[in-house]
Amino acid sequence: MKIKNILIANRGEIAVRVMKTARRMGIKTTVIKTASEPAAMYLSLGDNVYDDTENVSEIPVFLDIERIIKIALDSGADSIHPGYGFLAENPYFAQKCADNKIIFIGPSPDSIYKMGNKIIARKIAMAKNIPMTVGSEGKIPTENEAIRVARRIGYPVIIKAASGGGGRGMRIVNREEDMPKMFRMASNEADKTFSDHSVFIEKYIENPKHIEFQVLGDRKGNIIHLWERECSVQRKHQKLLEEAPSLALNDDLRKEMGEVSVKIASAVGYFSAGTVEFLFDAEGAYYFMEMNTRIQVEHPVTELITGIDLIEEQIRIAEGQELRYKQKDIKLNGWAIECRINAEDVQSGFSPSPGKIEQILMPSGENIRVDTGVQAGSVIAANFDSMIAKLIIYGKDRKDALASCKQALDKVWIKGTKTTLPFFRMLIRNSRFLDGSITTSFIENELSTYHVNSEYEEMLAAWLATWLFVDENLDESNLKIDFEEAKNMSPWLLNKRIIRH
Amino acid sequence: MAKQQKKLYALMGRKKYGFNLPLTETIRIGKRKYKIILKEDNKYGTYVLWKNRRYPVEIVMSRQNKFDILFNYVCYSFTVETPFSLKRKQYLDREKGQPEEERILAPMPGKVIEVMVREGDELNRGEPLLILEAMKMQNEINCPVNGIVKSVNVAAEENVVKDDVMLEIRISQ
Repeated sequence: MKIKNILIANRGEIAVRVMKTARRMGIKTTVIKTASEPAAMYLSLGDNVYDDTENVSEIPVFLDIERIIKIALDSGADSIHPGYGFLAENPYFAQKCADNKIIFIGPSPDSIYKMGNKIIARKIAMAKNIPMTVGSEGKIPTENEAIRVARRIGYPVIIKAASGGGGRGMRIVNREEDMPKMFRMASNEADKTFSDHSVFIEKYIENPKHIEFQVLGDRKGNIIHLWERECSVQRKHQKLLEEAPSLALNDDLRKEMGEVSVKIASAVGYFSAGTVEFLFDAEGAYYFMEMNTRIQVEHPVTELITGIDLIEEQIRIAEGQELRYKQKDIKLNGWAIECRINAEDVQSGFSPSPGKIEQILMPSGENIRVDTGVQAGSVIAANFDSMIAKLIIYGKDRKDALASCKQALDKVWIKGTKTTLPFFRMLIRNSRFLDGSITTSFIENELSTYHVNSEYEEMLAAWLATWLFVDENLDESNLKIDFEEAKNMSPWLLNKRIIRH
Repeated sequence: MAKQQKKLYALMGRKKYGFNLPLTETIRIGKRKYKIILKEDNKYGTYVLWKNRRYPVEIVMSRQNKFDILFNYVCYSFTVETPFSLKRKQYLDREKGQPEEERILAPMPGKVIEVMVREGDELNRGEPLLILEAMKMQNEINCPVNGIVKSVNVAAEENVVKDDVMLEIRISQ
């Protein structure tokens, strides 16, 4: 069935991203206007705007299954694109769409469910002889069982929530005496965050690389992969920079891991776009970690090296069309790098730095792509994620891409909030990053500062501070107080002044 | 008073930058002088022009002689001192010695997810104190010093606003 009108059940840059492809394909889009972002940029790109500003529910509309379905039916949308986050990996939502004859642009509810439950996903992968870390066979019901399993596989181990993923609900345990406490914490956290207290245990791989494979499948059982993405630059499991391909893989390994990815996806009859994530250890062994059943934030790097629009393929597959590519058609050309420019304060441990974007000027050029959902005047609100823009650079090889990236970073102009730019400007000059040897623990364990240090810039800032001081004390007599009269002040008064500071 | 060159110092940590008064819009590096131009317009907001490049600047905080300046997205905290106030500051710093307590302030509004420490706990620098959730991200707040927990002022599920004192740590020498 041909898709004619997509309800975008998302906001921000991914809403904009999906609409760009839809427009090119001649498909209409419906967007949802919420009370928290009534002037958001994505609203200006939709053909229809559904006004949901009167919604007083405590649940954000993008998480409200009933309401999204109602909006789709009311607005005449024949399909829903969930983007990422929110309801993108909710099997009940995908099922609810089917029940209401709305096309869910994504995989089947069954695939989402099976890959979403990490214990089931592990069992499926194990049955297919997919390389995996040693771990418990199912969920761990008690502390004693946790201790028994951990003894068998050896410390350190990691406790994961069965319904978790994306780095949430995990605890690393280094010693047996920590196990009871960590087990309780992981269990409680899983219950609170995912409404499912079940957890399982795996051997913890220290200092791995994070490498993931993009897959595409259709409803007829054809599945291909679109090579890998290297996502080792992450902090607390939040990715900051991704590139494709990965320097860590040679052609043989790339081919092998690609085939393994297709095998995993086939095991659940996967269709639409998906990502198979692996840990890659220092010895070059890889382990299946999880499969994400959605379009990912970092999908543009794959698009740049393969020349394939993943959103377009998602839509075509959702219409029931057959994949138009065979594995041999998928070329790997050049190198792509994505920097996630977030409203975060890298100098205080990447803490969110919400605020109004007063100005945003992004570089442009043949090898530069910018995916963003904000413009001058947009507000990075505390209740949504902190993404401002993704700066995506293409080069003929890694060296070329890195050089362009370095230049492009210096051309970004954002006023109004703190950003992750100083982090990228530091990273792009870091030898460990440049030689491709970093692992997921790099940021937390090997960096002493998270921002670029420039002697000249510091000096200019010092000059500016001095200039401001002079400006505020322009009245010469005022300045004189400190220069000459202060010596006549009583020590008591002086002290009081200082304490006030 | 003896005639001396009027000067101001911008201090950040152990770093000290001296500028002669009246403040000129040039900085000397080696033998060359470079012009600094501070400008503001509708397109770029406030910026500094230096060696043919435009740098974004923002005054994050300005209080008496303290300035937090965002220069090219990096935040610098300077205090500006006159030669006299600098001497006074150095004298007082020696007298006061190290601060004895460290207050852990909420870096931004959010919700406390978990408090990992109790009153009397002995902690090393870098150990986790609590988890604060803001903007969908759970942030671990770590202990900035070696010390003993003097007071815990927040509990799990509690909301905090920016600069709330969440914990107090007595610094061990």
